[in-house]
Amino acid sequence: MLRLEGIAKTYPNGFRAIDRVDLAIGEGSFTSIVGPSGCGKSTLLRLVAGLAEPSDGTISGRPQGGVGLVFQDPTLMPWATVAANVYLPLRLTRVSRTDAQPRIDEALTLVGLREFAESYPRELSGGMRMRVAIARAIVTKPHLLLMDEPFAALDEITRNKLNDDLLTLWRDRGFTTIFVTHSVFESVYLSTDIAIMTPQPGRIFSRHPVAGPRVRDADFRASATYLDACHAVSRDLERAMAAAA
Amino acid sequence: MTRFLPALFGLIVLSLWELLVRELHVPKFVLPPPSLILDALVANFPSLLAALWETLKLTLAAFAVSFLGGLALAILFVQSRLIERSLLPYAVVLQVTPIVAIAPLIVIWVGVEHVERAVLILATIVAFFPILSNATFGLRSVDPGLADLFRLYRATPWQRLTLLQLPSALPALLAGARISAGLALIGTVVAEFVAGSGEATGLAWRIVESGNRLEIPRMFAALLLLSLTGLALNATIAWIERRLLRHWGAA
Repeated sequence: MLRLEGIAKTYPNGFRAIDRVDLAIGEGSFTSIVGPSGCGKSTLLRLVAGLAEPSDGTISGRPQGGVGLVFQDPTLMPWATVAANVYLPLRLTRVSRTDAQPRIDEALTLVGLREFAESYPRELSGGMRMRVAIARAIVTKPHLLLMDEPFAALDEITRNKLNDDLLTLWRDRGFTTIFVTHSVFESVYLSTDIAIMTPQPGRIFSRHPVAGPRVRDADFRASATYLDACHAVSRDLERAMAAAA
Repeated sequence: MTRFLPALFGLIVLSLWELLVRELHVPKFVLPPPSLILDALVANFPSLLAALWETLKLTLAAFAVSFLGGLALAILFVQSRLIERSLLPYAVVLQVTPIVAIAPLIVIWVGVEHVERAVLILATIVAFFPILSNATFGLRSVDPGLADLFRLYRATPWQRLTLLQLPSALPALLAGARISAGLALIGTVVAEFVAGSGEATGLAWRIVESGNRLEIPRMFAALLLLSLTGLALNATIAWIERRLLRHWGAA
């Protein structure tokens, strides 16, 4: 269980991005953090990743076995092939290319890009680049995957496909996922658990477990569970915004 | 079609030049016609080529020193703001001081019998700054997301430098190299002018000599060689740039 207790983050210029966030995230869960732009979602993710230190509070129970991170942009190295980009996390932790090769192949197969290993990022579409970024994040077999609005810049068809592929990955690999998004529909479709955040300063407004099955598809999108959850999350998000204003 | 426009324009200008100089009887020691310049180039080709080779050697040496020195200093700057704060003003002082003004001092320091050393130092001073500033900028222009990933996986400073900062700096570094190569040639020729004497063997001195002897066609031939050399240097680096950056583009 990953626990955030009384987490606050104040920047040197005095801006309080997050204030007293308490959040418990179950192992193997898929938790979405939903909120408007500038509510501190990304900051929260950076704190969980250990890229920034909280000004207050503690984070405990970070899983052993590392963290994977996916940003809104693919942030690939343009000078390196797809395989070399996916190799990066292993290379930085001093795994030789020979030892890494099967793991690179596996990660690329999982995101469906095996035959693009020797391509360069600029030869790929936006969706494919995002797949490379996901392959890079899972190549170390992390127990925690952090995603910061990863599909926000993609068209809806690509986005739905990537959502399904991500769910498959998550079920197969069993890692805990924290997924930041501003899309209510995306969060309900993907998550076992949703946390709504309010801005200035960022706080958790409410939480919504999503009862749906672990295997989700177009039928789930038409189900009462899905629609009810979308309805409840939207309503809460509006109330959260009203409370913050 | 449009790619032939510069050649076409050049041809028209050369024809007009030839025609006007002949029709108006302009003395050849004022403005020789292109045909005479070509004759002078052919007649003096071995000596001019030897002089060009001397100039080119010093140019390439000055460029190499500038490139390696500028990059090394930029790497230092990026590691430590303190070093940058302390040293950058001096780099700027060197940059803004006209080399013509410091040439006599450098010649005295290295000794008049080693003019080529003075030329090398002066040309390096001229060519150094674009590399330093572009490399510093390039090394800092790292994608913040990639920088986060390097931190997440606990990269060492060496890994960050070799796997992230240097590759990220490549486009800016090559742009700097292109400017620097041109300046190295200009710097070498200017330094040959101000530091040289009858001993100097570079192209600049062939130009001075031709001027003194009123051999203006030969002077133009030397100038033509210099321009062609500058173009060749530029084209070479542009070619390297295209080769190395062919995978770049938006990523």
